[in-house]
Amino acid sequence: MAVVGSRRPTPYGEAVAERLGADLAAAGVVVVSGLARGIDAAAHRGALDAGGVTVAVLGTGVDVVYPAENAGLAAEIVGRGGALVSEFADGTPPRRGHFPKRNWTMAAISELVVVVEAAEGSGALITAEAALALGREVMAVPGSVFSPQSVGAHQLLRDGAGLVQNARDVLAVLGRGQEVLDDPLLPPSRLGLAAPVRRDGLLGHLSETLPVTAAELARKLGLGFAEALARLTALELEGSVLRRGEGYVRKLRRE
Amino acid sequence: MVASVLTCLLRGLEGVLVEVQVDVAPGHVAFNLVGLGDASVKEARERVRSALRNSGLGFPLRRLTVNLAPAELRKEGSGFDLPVAVAIALAVAEKRPPPRTAFIGELALDGAVRHADGVLVAARALRAQGVEALFVSPADAAEAALVKGLRVHAPADLAGVMAHLAGTAEAPAVAGLLPSAPLEPPLEDDLAEVHGQEAARRALELSAAGGHHLLLSGPPGAGKTMLARCLPGILPPLTLEEALEVAQVRSILGELGASPLSWERPFRAPHHSVSTAGLVGGGNGLGRPGEISRAHHGVLFLDELAEFQGPALQALRQPLESGRVVITRSRGTVSYPARFTLVAATNPCPCGWLGDDRRACRCPPGAVDRYQRSLSGPLLDRLDLRVAVSRPPLEALSTGSGAESSAAVRARVMTARHRQLHRQECLNAHLKPAGLRRHAPLGAGRRLLERWAEERGLTARGFHRAWRVARTAADLDGAETIQEAHLLEALGYRLAVHERAA
Repeated sequence: MAVVGSRRPTPYGEAVAERLGADLAAAGVVVVSGLARGIDAAAHRGALDAGGVTVAVLGTGVDVVYPAENAGLAAEIVGRGGALVSEFADGTPPRRGHFPKRNWTMAAISELVVVVEAAEGSGALITAEAALALGREVMAVPGSVFSPQSVGAHQLLRDGAGLVQNARDVLAVLGRGQEVLDDPLLPPSRLGLAAPVRRDGLLGHLSETLPVTAAELARKLGLGFAEALARLTALELEGSVLRRGEGYVRKLRRE
Repeated sequence: MVASVLTCLLRGLEGVLVEVQVDVAPGHVAFNLVGLGDASVKEARERVRSALRNSGLGFPLRRLTVNLAPAELRKEGSGFDLPVAVAIALAVAEKRPPPRTAFIGELALDGAVRHADGVLVAARALRAQGVEALFVSPADAAEAALVKGLRVHAPADLAGVMAHLAGTAEAPAVAGLLPSAPLEPPLEDDLAEVHGQEAARRALELSAAGGHHLLLSGPPGAGKTMLARCLPGILPPLTLEEALEVAQVRSILGELGASPLSWERPFRAPHHSVSTAGLVGGGNGLGRPGEISRAHHGVLFLDELAEFQGPALQALRQPLESGRVVITRSRGTVSYPARFTLVAATNPCPCGWLGDDRRACRCPPGAVDRYQRSLSGPLLDRLDLRVAVSRPPLEALSTGSGAESSAAVRARVMTARHRQLHRQECLNAHLKPAGLRRHAPLGAGRRLLERWAEERGLTARGFHRAWRVARTAADLDGAETIQEAHLLEALGYRLAVHERAA
């Protein structure tokens, strides 16, 4: 199945794509995406982190990685038993007209397409259109109603796409629902995720998806800004939080 | 008959004693001016001739030779008018010039003495070389009178100068006036008016306390300019010596008025179209001070950092490091002081909205990387504190903020600065690595910093930068030694977006 979306995602979208990629890969699904910046890269990354297999469909020759910053990711995809797929001859550079074609290919080799975040006119919507034309299932992840990055996904939902809250929703449509235990109301440990080591009470106030800035955290907990920043940096150093843009998120932990 | 009087030639912020020698000899009627004067000095002949005639002193119809010694230095400026005229008048009258007395000023055709640039600098240099009395224009009197031990006379015209020298009419010495120490200065931009922005407030306090350079990153309308404008208000007032240094730069530029000395910290905010010469100094002749020297002991605010021309930003690196700018020309080298705190502001991307929660970024993805890369590199590496500024929610603007005022922050800043000067005689930002080891021992924190450097690829400069900021955080805390929390906080002032691009 394919996970596609914006090249300029919000931190929320990126986190959702990474989580979906990871959970689906853990359930044995091959995650297909386009190796682009943003949602695509996050989905591949998630799948790889969960030890899964992922396939990247390229809009260039298979020997050309675009954008170049994803070269390491591409190598890892191949190294972990995945594949780079392209309909274009070796050495084909990135061209505007090739990416919509690539999107069709992606839809064609997937049973189902999940759109995570897509602004109006986004390439991810082309993939969704292609999937419908090819008789594939299309699902979408809702976002904030204030976010322009979710306008496309919401349009798909309005038009009847399936709603994705977590990997279980996707697996149910694929007819493999019973394999997953993912319940958003259960603690992460029941999902095979290790509970984060609680070294600092701050961790409990951080989200895995929505970044919180040091200033917001300080305000919420009545701490001085300097103290909040120092404690967050300590958590970052030990690897239990990550910086996302201006804020911090709790790192997903897996066994 | 030969007469000679003293004046001063400026080279940057140095003054060279110049002797104006006049020989009035029989022969063809002529008025020659030698001693490497540039066009503005050669023009002095016409002004001096008219001024002497119109002051009723007469102009000798003889062979007149004026030499500006030392002859090998190129002279520029109109301040030589007065000494040349005085020397001629003395030579004609066969009088001896007054001892240890110098003259600086331009002459109008009717004999009035006019303003010359750089009188304060000249006056300090002349005093240092033993001159005791100085004649300047009334416009420059207050400026010259700032120099201790110098008698300043400021007659309105050439006739007045000669009358004083002849002893017929006394031109009273101008009393030096130091402005009284500042009361609580009225602040145009007070931190009490800043809503939220805890990160930027703390960064401003650290910057003021330790002299650290600062980068504010955020979307349009987040208040970056307002925050930068608050910085001078939380700095201590200038000391007398600092105020004189600031006044010297303004004197060179001819910007000092009737009240030449100010205790206020300079705040300069050049537009991003500024040329390299305009920013760091340069231009005609040996070069004039640029914006960075006008910001000496104060704040240089560069809004839209990425829009500045690359060469101009490159030229900032040396002054940021040394606190001085050196301008080298074929005719010589001048250097101006430029010890300023840099506050740079930038949007996170070309359209400005990347990461904003209410509006989407409309830049093509590659453009964001290019934009952030244009900021990266050595300049960014010299900015100790980097914080994100986000737009305050609208409801925060209509309610009172109850935030701490600039005066309260300044009290803490002054205490922290006092600790530093007492310990190491400079601010933390100016500590060299050897000084850091001596005055800011890390103890157990060293392992933490090294671990971070190893895992995150911190440059040596970045390593020292975090160390200095940590020392300042400790000083604000009143802590003798740097604690782990201080180091962790210092390491927190990096922006992930820039780290990735760097």
